[in-house]
Formats: sequence, structure tokens, C-alpha cells
Amino acid sequence: MKHHSEIKSIAIILLKKEKLLTLTLGITIIGSILFSVFPPLVLKKIVNCFSSGQTVLLSLALTYFALIIFVGIFDAAKEVMITKYGQKITHEVRSVMYKKLSRLPSGYFIDHEAGTITSRMVNDVDTIDALFSNGIISMIVDSGKVLAIIIVIFSLSTGLGFIILFITPILFLLTRYFQKRMLKAQLENRIAIGKVNNHVPETIKNIRMIHSFAKENYMEKKYDSYIEGSYHALEKSNFCDSIYSPIIVFISAIVISILMVFSSMGGEMQTFFGMDLGSAVAIIAYVGKVFDPLESIGMEIQNIQSALAGIKRINEFLHEPEKNAQEETMNITAFTNSSESDIRFDQVDFSYSNLVPVVEYLSFQVSSGEMVTFVGRTGAGKSTVFRLILGMYEPQKGSITICGNKASLIPDKLKRKLFGYVEQSFPMVLGTIAQQISLFDPSISDEQIIEAAKLVGMHEHILALEKGYETMANMNLFSQGQFQLLSIARAVVAEPKIMLLDEITANLDSSTEQAVVAALLRASKNRTVLSISHRMYEQTTKGKLITL
Amino acid sequence: MKSKLKLDKVNHPDQIISYFKLEKFPLLLVTLSGLIYNFGMTAGPYFEGQLAQRLYDIMKGRKSLSDMLSLVFIYLIIIGIVQFMRYIKRFYVRRFANNTSRNMRHMLYNSLVHQTKEELEGESVGAIMTKAVSDVDACVEGMRKFTTEVFDTGIVLFAYFAMLLYYDYRLTLIACIFTPIAYFIASKLKKVVMNYTLKYKTIAGKLNDATMDNVTNAMTYRIYGCEEERIQSYEKQLKDYEKASVLANIWENTMQPIYNIISMIGVIFIIYFGAKNVIGTGWTTWNIAAFATFFSCFTKLAYKSSKAAKLFNSVQKAKVSWTRIKPFMKDYIEINKNTNFDHKIIDSLTLSHLSFSYSNVGPFFEDLSMTMLPGEIIGVTGPVASGKSSFGKIFLCEQPYSGSVKIGPYELSTLTDYERSLIITYMGHQPELMSDTIKENIQLGEDQSILSVLSLVCMEEDILSMPDGILTDVGNSGTRLSGGQQSRTALARALYHGKQIIILDDPFSAIDKKTEQKIMENLRIIGKDKIIILISHRLGIFPQLDQMIWLDGEHTQIGNHETQMHTNPNYALLYKMQTLGGDENEAS
Repeated sequence: MKHHSEIKSIAIILLKKEKLLTLTLGITIIGSILFSVFPPLVLKKIVNCFSSGQTVLLSLALTYFALIIFVGIFDAAKEVMITKYGQKITHEVRSVMYKKLSRLPSGYFIDHEAGTITSRMVNDVDTIDALFSNGIISMIVDSGKVLAIIIVIFSLSTGLGFIILFITPILFLLTRYFQKRMLKAQLENRIAIGKVNNHVPETIKNIRMIHSFAKENYMEKKYDSYIEGSYHALEKSNFCDSIYSPIIVFISAIVISILMVFSSMGGEMQTFFGMDLGSAVAIIAYVGKVFDPLESIGMEIQNIQSALAGIKRINEFLHEPEKNAQEETMNITAFTNSSESDIRFDQVDFSYSNLVPVVEYLSFQVSSGEMVTFVGRTGAGKSTVFRLILGMYEPQKGSITICGNKASLIPDKLKRKLFGYVEQSFPMVLGTIAQQISLFDPSISDEQIIEAAKLVGMHEHILALEKGYETMANMNLFSQGQFQLLSIARAVVAEPKIMLLDEITANLDSSTEQAVVAALLRASKNRTVLSISHRMYEQTTKGKLITL
Repeated sequence: MKSKLKLDKVNHPDQIISYFKLEKFPLLLVTLSGLIYNFGMTAGPYFEGQLAQRLYDIMKGRKSLSDMLSLVFIYLIIIGIVQFMRYIKRFYVRRFANNTSRNMRHMLYNSLVHQTKEELEGESVGAIMTKAVSDVDACVEGMRKFTTEVFDTGIVLFAYFAMLLYYDYRLTLIACIFTPIAYFIASKLKKVVMNYTLKYKTIAGKLNDATMDNVTNAMTYRIYGCEEERIQSYEKQLKDYEKASVLANIWENTMQPIYNIISMIGVIFIIYFGAKNVIGTGWTTWNIAAFATFFSCFTKLAYKSSKAAKLFNSVQKAKVSWTRIKPFMKDYIEINKNTNFDHKIIDSLTLSHLSFSYSNVGPFFEDLSMTMLPGEIIGVTGPVASGKSSFGKIFLCEQPYSGSVKIGPYELSTLTDYERSLIITYMGHQPELMSDTIKENIQLGEDQSILSVLSLVCMEEDILSMPDGILTDVGNSGTRLSGGQQSRTALARALYHGKQIIILDDPFSAIDKKTEQKIMENLRIIGKDKIIILISHRLGIFPQLDQMIWLDGEHTQIGNHETQMHTNPNYALLYKMQTLGGDENEAS
């Protein structure tokens, strides 16, 4: 599975496009590395100054302070640049992913839960940001710091340089060992906490069963056992977490001790360790400094590893097969001026997974203005026929045409003028009541929205709300039946040629059902209407039945 | 999965101090080791200074190598002890947090599981509680940080400051004046930073909602040809998000170094006047050790004090979380299982003048009277929204009824929840499965074999085809099973725990007619001494039932299938439509 990585190419394109940004980022990185090693050097000068009995110049004190300011500024600038860059990348990736989403075949949305796809676009993309900022770039900076400190230590004391060079990899391995153990314990904990957290909504959902079976105690015990799992995992990670940093501090004390002892030995040892007093003070400061970036590098490796999984998932998503191309040049006049039947199925075979045929040898036609009702038992493929008409799927055999045009080739942008599709439940979108009807279509005017609401008898109900049409929609505003009416308004507002009604009264009580059927009859005037519903058929005398 | 947990009883669970009190032992250890460690923290700078001084003395020929060795030896021992204390402190602070989180979750869950369905549904208590559980983490994290920082920031700052004063109080006062200034500026700017962060979080929330909406309704937008517009609007949101996030980040990241720089102004004075001290022209006389110690002590003080703000932040966060958790922290509830209730004397179930209505929706049925006997299966049906499910829920006592429901000598409404569970088994419209194995979902912690109930609900073959058999995980809400398997698992659970009165609301949904008939026959076998009330809109099996209730407002009727076919035209019509049309009419 050697995919070419989309993420990588996005990053590279950005790198080239944002030249100024890249340059600034580079400068801040180098600056923050360099300035982090300077202050102890000035300190060395100061100490040597007064150890030889000279007065310390104010300028030296000011230089030291100025260096601290530069460290602060460059560190801050570096962070800002990294964020800026990371945000540019995540923006681009989300953008590309969303466009990809619109090119995926309809089947994808049935096989994949909305929550999972959203998590790709939200959480996994966030890991790219993490990979970039807390991973790759920080690692460059930290490795640079380690390297710079080692070089400086070498220049101050060759002997200590060798000691540091020798223990750095050991320390790094030790750090990784602790980090890996902690990560393992944390993963265990996360799994346990997942169970703990899942148990709560599950309890809420099943509370009636729990009470009626008097299983409160059982549920509590189960919950406690999940907590225990998390408790033990955390206890493991706590041990590593608490002992790691004391060990490191102790080791750095040992290094300082060795340095001091060797420097005191005199003779050849002293020349090898080449120590004056200023260097000794400066080196004490450096030894403390080399551990921080080492620990960070360990964390960065971990961040990169965990981010890679997210990136792999995103790359997989971006490589999903896309739906077939549509004829984007097709014009609405191809439908309005057509002399063909509105809908024609010719010897159609269709199955979702190529295993169980859902539709076999289906042929029928519906002429303009006709009213057709589909009947048949559950699973007979009634809803599937609608999906085929809408061009969401392509049949394996036979042909489906809308006004003489192949259904699957009709571009999506024309569909609202062609079809008014009303489903069993109302798919609420994030927006105002008016937007529920317009679906953000800028070509639909406020007047059209009100007219549609009036047609289905919802106008007064909407006006009764505090903010009227501008109220943000939520499930508590209206009854299920009233939402069904909104759903019809959404369908008719663009004046579609064909209405497709899928079991729309299934979940309604009888009085609301009356209102919905009445609204539908008004909405169906002068339109071709296909419906899956006994009730529609009972209410109208005309029309034909197709049994599946 | 037997729980080995020994949870202590939490007195006054609604007071945060109770949780501290429970953890006396770890907190005692934390206090002792924390004190030693933090006062010992000054040992680092002190010894570093001494080491430099000794090196200087050796170079000048005033001290020998053995003097250095003995100093190094003491240095390592002291640092070793201090760091060991640090380990003890860190470990027990974490254990304290771990214990507390466990105790809090335990109490919170107890409170949750004893909430009624109505409470959980009303006012979105369910959502609030789900949030409260995740608040436990934030709250405990705050408690932990508070406990840690009391020592690591409070005491250590004090110790450093005292040490500095000891070396040179005038220089200390001059050098440290800048730290409060940094604090003052920080507190002034905090609001600005918070504003940007808040703005960023709001926009991030909006973007997440929009992403969820765009994905969830992807098909709707596609069918309505709105994708083009959605892409543009999403792009705009991405831009806003990018801007807000960068802005918030700039404010957050640039503030910290600025505070650092301001408090480090003191360094200029320390270097200048400190050097004078060493040469002997300053306020006091210092050796090199004193200078090095003072210098490194001050740097550490400045660094620590810049972190102090974090302490207040975490305490603040803990407070906010705690106020959300607090209302649910009630005294531990245990079910009272003491009862004089004798379920063996139940010989009948009698409804008299039973009426039921919701507060807002008019009466579903009125004045219902009938007697049911053990061995009978009673059907309940009616048109859509006629109150079929509500009839079943009467036995859950979620809503008051008027009239009377006598179970043997007992009136239903006088029984406690526990007593009711001894006599009534209810299977609801929803399968209510948990993400666990099929076996666990049926047994709910009991030990008896589930094989017999599996055969009663005709699920043996299904189980055989599953690789893990009865240990198959049903997935979240049972989604890994087919609809029919879900409802049969729920039915199996009801029969496994079946008491003398069994209420089954729509048990055959998504089950084919042949299987339905077979299960029906099995119900007859196990129902010899039980009263089974079967609520369904599928009428195919109704001719086999002993009695039936047709719920239809004022047209409500009681009688068996035969009689109702003659006297009840609505029932007769529905029955004919379903049986002759061959249509299962999945609507309900």
C-alpha cells in the first residue's frame, strides 16, 4: 500500500508558495538556537572578570540582559511562525478534504458514519498541525540546541565535551525508555477511560431497562471495574512520571561532580578539562540546559509517531475512489423542452454490493404530470428506485433516463430544479429556519421562502417564534409533523419538476398526517409525483400503482 | 470481571474538602516530602556556588583535591536525598489525584444511575451529566496542581527569597521589584488574552459544528445541488478559523517571554552590584560562591514566579468544573431490598377504570377494566399514536395513572421500584442493548446459562454463524447486530429475567413472520404460569391470543380476536389489510 502522500505534496506546495513566511520561519529557528547558547558565555566572561579582581562593566551586565531579551523574542517569534505555518497547512488540508467529500460516491456515506468522517476532518487534521509544530520543527530546533550546547561545551572543555558526548545518547535512550513505558500506560488508560466515558451515555440511553430490571448495582459494579482499569494504568504511568525527572537531575549532578573533580586534579587532567573559573560556572549552566531539549526530542518522536496514524488515515481518505463524472455542460432546457417521458426505467438491474440484487429487470415510465405510487414489502427496493432516479447510483444493467437524459450524468447543480425529494425524517441543517428551506441557496429569495412556508401552512407557526424566520433551528422548535412540512417547503421552494416522496407520513400521528397530506396535495399540483406511501394513494383517486 | 475496588464512603460528597479528607495518608506524605524537597531545592544553587568557589581555591593553591572530593560527596548525597523526596512527593500527589478521581466518578455515577428516565430526558440532564463526568478530570487536575504548586511554587518561592535576602537584602529588594511589576502587567493583559482565546474557541466550535453538519447532511446538500455553495461557505469558515487561531496564539505566546524579560531586569543589578560585592566595593562582602548561588537562585526564582499564574489558572478551572459537578454529588444511594412483598401470592392482574393521559396530550384511554390470569397472552394494538406504548409504560410507573391496577392483592402504584422489579419484566420499544457481548447483555451479571432463552427466541442459528458465538460484541447500541437480532436479544433478556408479568412492546420488529410464529409458540410454553402482555401493530398472530385490547380513544374495545372482528370495523379493516396485502407495513 504505497500511496503517494497528498499531505506531503500540500506541504511542499505551501513551502514554495509562502516564500517570505518560510524565510522568516528559518530565521527565527536559527535565532532561537543561537541565542539560547550565548548567555552562559557572557556569564563566563563576567565571572572571569571579577575572579581576576577587575570591576565588572555595566555594559557586560546589559549585554547579558539584552541576550535574554533576544532569547525571549526569538522564542516567541518562532512559536508564532510555527503556528502560522501549521494553520496554513491545516486550512489547505481541510479545504482539499471537503472538496474531496463532494466528489465521493453516494455509497461512501452509507458505509461510513458521519462521526467518523468528521473525526478525520477535525481530529486527524489537528494531528497534522501537531506533527508540524510539536513534531518536526520543534525537533529541528531542539536537535540544533543540543548540538550547539555540545559544541560550546567542547570549546570550553574538551574533556567534558567527551563526557557529554558519551552520556547524551545514554540519557536519550533512558528518556525514550521512560516515555515508551508511559505511553503504553497512557494508551491503556485511554482505552479504559473510553469505556468509562462510554458507559455514561449508555446508561442514560438504557436507563429504563436498568431500572425495570433493578440492575443499578450491576451497572455500578461494571462502571467501577472500568474505573479500576484506568486506575491501574495510571498508577503505572505515575511511577515513571514521578521518577524520571529526579533521575535526570541526579545524573546532571553527577556530571557536574565529575567535571569538578577532574578540573581539580591538576596536571594533564586539568589541561584536558581546560577549566578556568568562568567556564566552570558557565558549564554548570549548560549541563542543566542540555537535558531539556533531550527530553523534548523524546516527546517529539512520540508526537510524530502518533500523528503518522492520522496522516495515513487522511491520505487513505484522499485516495478513496471518486464518483463518475457528470455532464457539467448539461442545461436545464434539456429537461424543460423535452418531449420524452419524465422518468423511464429500461430493464434495470441494480445491487449495492453485487451480491443481493435489489432491483431486477425493472421497467416503467412516468410521463409529465403523472402521479405514481410504489408499493411492496420492506426491502423490496422502493427507496432504492428513488436513489437511482436521483442519480446517486448507477445501475449495473439497463438504463434510467430523466426527460431522455441519463440520470447519473445529470450534474448536481441542476437537481434542485428537477427533483423535490422528501424523506421519512427531516434532515435538519445547521442554520436558521429560513435556511432550512433555502438550504443556503443564494438564488432563492426571502419571498420565495415565505411563499413555500405558506403553501405548507407553516408560515404562521414560524412567525410565532421570537425571531421568526431568523430563529436558529433546533429539534425542540416544532413537532415531527411540522418538520415534515418544512421538508416539503424545502423541496417545493425551487419549483422542481418532479416530486419524490419517501414514506413521508410514516412517523406521524393521524391529525398531523392530515395536514401533511393536504400540504403535499397542494405542492403536487402540476408536477410529476412519485411516492412511496399507502396513504397518498388512498387520498387521491388518480394515479397508478407500481408493485415492487 | 469482579471488581476488587474498595471504595471509601464519602461523607458530604458535595463538599470538595471531603475528598481531601479521604486522602489523609498520601497528603501527609506529600506534605512531608514536599517540605523537605522544596527547602532542599536551595541546596542546588548553594552547592553549585560552593563548588565553583572550591575550584577557585584549588586553582589558587589554597585547597587540595581531597577537599573537592569531600564536597562533591556531600553534594551528591544531598541532591540524592532531595531528589528522592521529590519522587515521593510527585508520586503521592498523583496517587492522591488518582484516588480522588475514582471516588468522584464513583459518586457521580451512583447519582446518575438512580435518576429517572424523565429526569434524564427533561432539561437535557443527560447531556449535562455526560459533561459532568468529563469535568471530573478537569476538577481533579486542578486539585492536583493546587496540591503540587502549594509546595513547588509557594514554598519554593519563599525559600529562594529568604536565601536571597540572607545573602544581600538590599540587592534582593532591588532585583525583585520587577517581578510584581510583571505580575501587574500580566493581570492587566490577561483579559485581552482571554478575549482572543475565547474568540478562537468559539470559532473553533463553530467550525466543528459546520464540519459535522456538512458531513452529516452531505447527501441532502448533494441531492439539492447545494455543494458548490457549501464549499465556499466552508472555505470562509476555514479562513476565519485560521485568523482567530493565529491571533490567539500570538497573544498567548508573546506574553510569557515579556513577563520573563521584565522580571529578569533584576539581573542587570545583580551582575553589576554583585560583582562589586565580590571585589569588596559593594554593600556586603561576597565570595564567588555567594555570587554564583545568588545568581542561580534569582534565575530560578524568576522562572518559577512566571509559572505562578498557571497555578491560579488551574485552580480557576477546577472551580468551574466543580460547580458543574456539585449538584450531582449526593449521598450514596443504595437500593432498599427489605420488603414484606410476597410475589408467590400473585394470582391475577386486574385493571379497573384505568385511564391514562400525558399532561399535554388528551386521554389515550379511559375507564379500562379487565382481569388477566396466569397463562394468558393478552394483545394490545390500535392505530398509530393511540397510546399502545403508553399502556405498557404504566407498569413502569413513570407517569401516574388514574383508576386501579391490582397485581394480586397489591396496588401497582404502592409498590417500590425494587418490589416492582420482582414481579414485572418490561421490554421496551428500543432494544436498549449495551456495548458488551450478547451473553452479558442477556445475563446482566447473573450466572445461569442463556442457551434456553436463545432457543426460545430462535437465535441459535444466528449465534452459530458468528465467529465468537455468544461472546460476540454487539457494538455500540447493538449496531453490529441486524435489527432482528437486536430485538431478539432484547427479548431473550426479558425472558431470561422473566417474572410473573411480562410486558413486551413490539418484540417482533424486524423479525420475519415464520420466526415470529415460532417464538409465539415458545412464549406459550414458558408462559404457563405467567401473564404476558404483547403490544404490537403486527396483527398476524392476534387470532392466537387469549384476549386483546384495541386502543383507539373513545373507540377502545376489549375482547378476543373473533369478537372484535365482528364488533370493531377498524380492527377488522386493519387486520385484513395486513394479512391479505402481504405487506408488513413497517410503519409504526
